[in-house]
Amino acid sequence: MVALTARALAAAGVGVVLLDPHGTGDSGGDFADARWPTWLADVQTAAAWAEAETGGPVGLWGLRLGALLAAQAVAAAPARFARLVLWAPVARGETFLTQFLRIRVAAAMGDGQAGGGESTKALRAAWDAGETVEVAGYEVAPALAAAMDAAALADAPPPATLPVDWFELVAEEGRDPAPGARKAAEAWTGAGARVAVDPVVGDPFWSLQEIALAPNLIAATVAALTRGAP
Amino acid sequence: MSALEDVKDVLRDTLQLGARADAFDASTPLFGSLPEFDSMAVVTVITALEERFDFVVDDDEITAEVFETVGSLAEFVESKT
Repeated sequence: MVALTARALAAAGVGVVLLDPHGTGDSGGDFADARWPTWLADVQTAAAWAEAETGGPVGLWGLRLGALLAAQAVAAAPARFARLVLWAPVARGETFLTQFLRIRVAAAMGDGQAGGGESTKALRAAWDAGETVEVAGYEVAPALAAAMDAAALADAPPPATLPVDWFELVAEEGRDPAPGARKAAEAWTGAGARVAVDPVVGDPFWSLQEIALAPNLIAATVAALTRGAP
Repeated sequence: MSALEDVKDVLRDTLQLGARADAFDASTPLFGSLPEFDSMAVVTVITALEERFDFVVDDDEITAEVFETVGSLAEFVESKT
């Protein structure tokens, strides 16, 4: 989905660098060594490279947790970025992390340990004790968990002058984006940012077991980035 | 919309069940019966319900009983909203 969109953007004349932050995807390092500030630095490094390579204005585009990371990167270096594109951003890292930990809680439920097996509270206590917690194959270090817990879109509003394209996927035409997204967008508006959440009909492809596409999202993203500032 | 229809909607959307979900009723078994309904799916469904209804699910509410059937999940949603 991301690669398809990158190709569609490239075909429309928008250069794209896809980033696997340290410890993820094809990048070096183990996930256990992944840290939030390292990821933020990776984003700035990639942006600097793209800027030098193209000479053009650079924007950031992020999906879910990557969108939260992108928003923080923009807030840290507002002058560097000309644009921010968000796909269903994680509004609060803490909520996301709890949902992630539930994979273990739900797995324990399958093992017949309902209620007594695992709890997000106990797993969080392990982080507090300095232990790395493994969830769904990811070794999450305490420092990464703490940084994710503290990350929130509301604390990283973009400058008022920065065009933001914020897309949320909805199941059918006429549905509103989820309340969490609306609240986060309101917090940004309150901080002076010009932002509107654009609902796009499509499947939440990142959470589905089968590989799924959201063609409307690709089209809406390419359209937004090729028509200039909104 | 009733909680039962809401739950069917969420299951249809999150598990890509399509028309299969139309045949669901309160007695349709979920966890341990529906092949798509593994622990990952449980998490996805909880998240979708939280986002849709803006409530928070506690750890001790994630039980095999709640996810036993479409009806038990609908009852749970009703109790939370």
